[in-house]
Amino acid sequence: QQLQQLQQFHVPPAQSEEPGGHGRLRGYESTLQERRPEGLQVSSGLQDLSLRDRGGRRRDFHDLGVNTRQAMVHVQESKTGFSGKMIKLTTNHFRLTSRPQWALYQYHVGYSPEMEARRLRSALLFQHEETIGKTHAFDGSILFLPKKLENKVTELFSRTRNGEDVKITVTLTNELPPTSPTCLQFYNIIFRRLLKMLNLQQIGRNYYNPSDPVSIPNHRLMVWLGFTSSILQYEENIMLCADVSHKVLRGETVLDTMHSLHSQVGEERFRDTCAKELIGLIVLTKYNNRTYRIDDIDWDNNPKGTFRKSDGSEMSFVEYYKKQYNIEISDWMQPVLISQMKRRRGNIQGSVALIPELCSLTGLTDKMRSDFNMMKDLAIHTRLPPEQRQRELGRLLNYIQKDDNVQKELRNWGLSFDYKSVSFTGRVVQGEKIFQSGTMFDYNPQFADWTKETRGVPLIRSVPMDTWLLIYTRRNYDVANTLLQSLFKVTPSMGIRMNKPNMIEVDDRTEAYLRVLQQRVTPDINIVFCILSSSRKDKYDAIKKYLCTDCPIPSQCVLARTLSKPQTIMTVATKIALQMNCKMGGELWSVEIPLKQVMIVGIDCYHDTVSGKQSIAGFVASLNQTVTRWFSRCVVQSRGQELVDGIKACLQTALRNWSKWNKCLPSRIFVYRDGVGDGQLNTLVNYEVPQFLDCLKSIGTDYSPRLTVIVVKKRVGARFFAEIGGGLKNPPPGTVVDTVVTRPEWYDFFIVSQTVKNGCVAPTHYNVIYDTSQLKPDHVQRLTYKLCHMYYNWSGIIRVPAPCQYAHKLAFLVGQSIHREPNLMLSDRLYYL
Amino acid sequence: MDKNFQEEFTQIIKFEPPLYKQRHQFVKDLVEKYKPKKVADLGCADCSLLWMLKFCSCIEVLAGLDISASVMKEKMHMLSPLPVDYLQPSERSLTVTLHHGSVAHKDPCMLGFDLVTCIELIEHLEESELKKFPEVVFGFMAPSIVVISTPNSEFNSLLPRVMLYRHPDHKFEWSQAQFQSWALETARCYDYSVEFTGVGHPPAGMEKVGFCTQIAVFVRKYPQTSESVQSEKPMEAVYKTVFKAVYPSLKDEKYLQNAVINEVIFTAQIIKHCLMSKREEYGDDSERKSKFQPSMDCFSDYLGKPVVEKNMEPFISGNEVYVPLKTIFSFPKVNRLCGTFEKLCKLIAGKVTLSSDGSAVMFNIEQENEEN
Repeated sequence: QQLQQLQQFHVPPAQSEEPGGHGRLRGYESTLQERRPEGLQVSSGLQDLSLRDRGGRRRDFHDLGVNTRQAMVHVQESKTGFSGKMIKLTTNHFRLTSRPQWALYQYHVGYSPEMEARRLRSALLFQHEETIGKTHAFDGSILFLPKKLENKVTELFSRTRNGEDVKITVTLTNELPPTSPTCLQFYNIIFRRLLKMLNLQQIGRNYYNPSDPVSIPNHRLMVWLGFTSSILQYEENIMLCADVSHKVLRGETVLDTMHSLHSQVGEERFRDTCAKELIGLIVLTKYNNRTYRIDDIDWDNNPKGTFRKSDGSEMSFVEYYKKQYNIEISDWMQPVLISQMKRRRGNIQGSVALIPELCSLTGLTDKMRSDFNMMKDLAIHTRLPPEQRQRELGRLLNYIQKDDNVQKELRNWGLSFDYKSVSFTGRVVQGEKIFQSGTMFDYNPQFADWTKETRGVPLIRSVPMDTWLLIYTRRNYDVANTLLQSLFKVTPSMGIRMNKPNMIEVDDRTEAYLRVLQQRVTPDINIVFCILSSSRKDKYDAIKKYLCTDCPIPSQCVLARTLSKPQTIMTVATKIALQMNCKMGGELWSVEIPLKQVMIVGIDCYHDTVSGKQSIAGFVASLNQTVTRWFSRCVVQSRGQELVDGIKACLQTALRNWSKWNKCLPSRIFVYRDGVGDGQLNTLVNYEVPQFLDCLKSIGTDYSPRLTVIVVKKRVGARFFAEIGGGLKNPPPGTVVDTVVTRPEWYDFFIVSQTVKNGCVAPTHYNVIYDTSQLKPDHVQRLTYKLCHMYYNWSGIIRVPAPCQYAHKLAFLVGQSIHREPNLMLSDRLYYL
Repeated sequence: MDKNFQEEFTQIIKFEPPLYKQRHQFVKDLVEKYKPKKVADLGCADCSLLWMLKFCSCIEVLAGLDISASVMKEKMHMLSPLPVDYLQPSERSLTVTLHHGSVAHKDPCMLGFDLVTCIELIEHLEESELKKFPEVVFGFMAPSIVVISTPNSEFNSLLPRVMLYRHPDHKFEWSQAQFQSWALETARCYDYSVEFTGVGHPPAGMEKVGFCTQIAVFVRKYPQTSESVQSEKPMEAVYKTVFKAVYPSLKDEKYLQNAVINEVIFTAQIIKHCLMSKREEYGDDSERKSKFQPSMDCFSDYLGKPVVEKNMEPFISGNEVYVPLKTIFSFPKVNRLCGTFEKLCKLIAGKVTLSSDGSAVMFNIEQENEEN
């Protein structure tokens, strides 16, 4: 019954797209179709209208209509917290207003005789503009009008070119109030129309201004400024959430990239490298305004190859592009790129062939992301401080306000925007105290960092380094010694006992490292330290793979370059010592956790975009009362498998381990679930949460702990700015927002937990989708914020609760380097840090 | 409004490719032949012909005119530059403009065109408009070439579903004789020559009905003098501009400068990269100040072969890498963009860090190491 309710407004096409949305949901869909045929039709029709030009997958990006709050009685009345100091905040939300009594009128349009072509259907209908008016949205069968026609059923007569008379019946099917889900979709469509009218270029889902690009010639990059926008029903109002977005484009064609790869890696590794670098990237073409994802490279084909046109005739690419677009392909030997077509309604799934020379690359590759200099050069242009960000946003709204056509369109629909962003009050919860071996530390909560305060203080639990290996190449002999001396200087005050390591010199080859590991690593070794001379991934991967799976021993890899600067070596050595201690099962600091018998779980996913084959879920669960030790596992899942089955197994083992450590089972479980994509909330609510419950049931009939499942989302459009001294600043860490910009159908809140040096701080969105804890919202918020203090690789507050970050780290390591589940011997240590 | 569709529904005679495509192809062939720089399409409707013409590299100005703004607006965004046009600006300049107005009115924005096309236009004109039409197009606009196409009513008997006209909005449909006499009279009056042709061949044995679409190509007989364009023309604008797109072009200094800076820095980066990796290979313990000579072949693969002269080798001195501008200029891509070495220097002045004498691009490598 409840599930059916949840389904109510869901847009059907979205479900079939989702990995978890099989079988189980279909039943509900069909019951629904019987119950509300009209509502459904509308939605799918509208989706079609909205996303057709994008050519992308149809999805309910905003998880509209997934109403999870109604099942949680204790937050029916209020979901707001109370602790902390008030703070005045501004956001990037703008109220959408409609005139009083506003409604959207939805009509069904029928043709007799039946007309097939959509364009013909529109043409015939709009011969009657004097009746239906100039303002309309029509997708071929559903017509939306801002005004009500005189009659419920209107019959119109048109004549086709060849004199055929057609009767058009326009029937009122719905009068939609401003807050109906269909209307929300409709607003978004209208807003996109407006952006188009402003001559912004659509790339992917957002719109960009091409006339004023920033070019970064060092890296052949170009950055376009644009906007993301979504219109949604928020707590009190329907609002536009607009944010500045930057699109990174590359001033070279795929063919250029191939040439440069060729010269970098040579003939032998060329094809592999191309596949690795290019597959998964999004390209723009020279001749149309579509984006395509590169799914494959067909090396056996070339522009002289032919393809079958829709009329059945064969034509070569060279000929086609010449004829269709007057484009001469100059390199006839290049391979052909393959892009799989996303499924379209009813059509067969096919693929498109693209010519590298005619495709431009967009976005960044992982390799580029790891290029420090490139990211730094980019950040100058993309990390806008609060004031500037709001100013850019103001510019967009100004365009909208000043453009006559846009204003006319809005007026015709009876809509308008509040051009001043929404202001409201948030709360800054009090700073958390950090405990380290019996001492409590105060630090400046503004900086969200206690590196200085806790330097040279004994750790909660230090693990001795009695037997350990230090592996280095001949070139790095000096570096190894400097490191060792520094470690001997910094470790005593932390309480870490350290013996001299076995120093082993190796050749700078992967096989040499592996041979040493095979010969010298014994089970009594605490940790293996490798100094690497270059950031070659294969060497790192091989070492990690061996020491995580075949021979489970914690390991630490450091680049020689990192250790080569005398002025920073002590800081670096301190950090490394702490990191190694955690990898061996040590504990650094803690915060006060008032709840007893609680197990905290963090889950995050990593999707291998390169091979596109694997998904990895990292699963991390706390083991002790102070939440300083963690049990970590991961699920490696190939395409088509359900991730959740593996997660269920993880939860089971986590519970077993928790009871081993605590001699009882936890009475409360908190799951922080990260890595949930837009539009996947429904799957989570209806599939994953029941699986968690199933799992708990399977532990024992008398076991029923309180479960809270919180979806953690880092990528959100909302930005908050603190109004301080007449200017806009980033809100301080600990800022909680649970009104105005949250969603009425959810038990959700935002926390700004971290600080940023440049740009705008991004709040993290927490959506409590299941909660039997009976805790007050304030306590859930506080607990969440506390957990952001517990990530041991950073002596400060991070963006997400520590278990999510641990889960992310683990999934990333496995997805990037190991590709299979690490040995469970390591699971009680943070070996992946 | 959608004349392109009108023959799609014919039952017995099917044209392959469809007739509207054949008409467009006809115009395109004409463009290929005469290479006009400025082309106007009167009665451009959904802009599909204009869209096709924007890919013709000889055209620098494209204009469309239609009596219905909403039909034009429906798809006018197809005529906007694509993201890629901004990423890789083309050599030629291109401006596309759409005007809302009637072919019965004169507007100075229609002056100076080389080719004016009126595809399936005249049959939509009221008698009074048709009367003014020759004076506006041939007398006022006076382009070098005018193309006019219109249905051939003699062919209608082969289209069984056509009652009176092929489209309810048609005010008339002419026989071959009617069209030709009107065209000849117009040509005579405004000093043009005219030839007749068409698209949509009649079925075998029915040749005498003529083409389904009849086409007249008018060529101006007198040369255009600049005075004749300007003199005694009413200069008041009556059309409303509904769309204008200026394509990024290397003819525009702004885009050229950008392209040159990008190419210069990128080229210099690659040369630097080769130099540095050479140094790393041989170890850098010995001599830091020695000059390294990169082998040019390591980047020639994708930059094209440079013309190497003496004293153009890049070198490292202290913490700086110097890549002589002459070296950069010798790469074909840079060379093609700038044309002359002086132009190169002018374009990058103040935008790229140069050595003190301005002869080389300079990178500081110390700084970079620090950041890693």
